[in-house]
Parts: sequence; structure tokens; C-alpha cells
Amino acid sequence: MTREVIMEKVNEIFRDVFDDDELVITDSTNSDDIEDWDSLEHISLIISMEKEFGLKFDIKEVNKLENVGQMVDMIKDKLDEKQGL
Amino acid sequence: MNSYTYDSIEVGHKESFTVTVTEADMDRFREITGDINPLHKDSDYARERGYRDRVVFGMLTASYLSTLAGVYLPGEHSLIHSVNTKFSGTVYPGDTLTVEGTVTEKNDTFKLIIIKAVIYNGNREKVCKAQMQIGII
Repeated sequence: MTREVIMEKVNEIFRDVFDDDELVITDSTNSDDIEDWDSLEHISLIISMEKEFGLKFDIKEVNKLENVGQMVDMIKDKLDEKQGL
Repeated sequence: MNSYTYDSIEVGHKESFTVTVTEADMDRFREITGDINPLHKDSDYARERGYRDRVVFGMLTASYLSTLAGVYLPGEHSLIHSVNTKFSGTVYPGDTLTVEGTVTEKNDTFKLIIIKAVIYNGNREKVCKAQMQIGII
């Protein structure tokens, strides 16, 4: 799966979690940019991503994430690893 | 009190308990919350509006969801993250409620469980439905 496709899917998850159909995220988007992005919504985001991409994340990796770009990179790395790329 | 750990709980795990809502519970709830709405206080007022007696506070009924998580499922290690609740039936003082919770999902990353909770009255009618997200600490 290309990074662009992952980004599109992640954007959809953000729109769903924050109930905002107009929400557009970029690599640099972080919790300072979205008012409702608190610790509980962060859990919702990560769980939704695990389900969407069929992945399991490590809590230590999740805690290190600083923005959407790092989130997408983590997903891409795990998907590539899963596919033996 | 139960003390289930994250690893000891499986999807499908179910726990339940019963509780009778008393007049004294109603009075204490009113005193704590300051909700003096007459529907919960005045039997005549409630009857005039089609209820057979004063109505138990929905949030008093829902408060037993706290007991479900904190005492039964998972019990001691519970930390409630969220509760989405619907009130689907009327509860009256004196009703005996059955509170049931079933684990529908586990998340290994955050060590949390999702519980589908249902509260029934004595006639086995659903009076409250909820989805709870509970961390296991």
C-alpha cells in the first residue's frame, strides 16, 4: 500500500473519530492542531488504525509519535514488514 | 470484588448482579446531584404525565454501570474511559434491576476492554443499554 493511500485512509479515520467531514490532516498535524485530540481520542485513533490496517502496535511506539506523519510512517513500515518488503 | 487481569479476560466473558432501587437511594441521589425535577420526586406529577409512579433518575440507573466495572468486570483493576448510554425503559422505585456486562472486544496495545452492558428491570425489559470502554490497570 502506498504512503498516499495510507494517508487517505488515516484522514478518513480522523474524520470519523472527530466527527468532522471537512477535516484535512497533513504530516505535521499534531494534537495541538485539533482541539478534541486528547488522550482518549488518541486511543480511539490508534484502535481504529489497528482495525483498518489489520495491525498491532506497540504502546512504546505509539507513545513516541509526535505527529500524523510519524503515525503514517509507522503504519507503512509495519505493512511493508508484514508483506515481507 | 473481582480482580480480573487483562490476560485473564476473554471476549465473551460475562458478569452480572442484581440491585433494588429504593426510595432512600432516590433521596440520596437527589441530595448529591441537586436534581430536584418533580418527575423523580412527586408521584402525582408523574401520574399526570402517564407514569405509574415517580420515575427513577436515569443517571441513578446508569450509576450501577460503575459498579459493574469497578466491582465485577474487571473489578479491582478497572479504570472507566467512556460510557455511551441509552435509556430504553422506565425504572420505578422498588424495581429490582439486573445489570449484565459482556466483553465484546479487547485491545492489547492499551490493555483495555469494550463491554456491552444491559440493565433489565424485573420483567426482563431493557431499561438501559451501554457500551463501556474500560482500561485495566
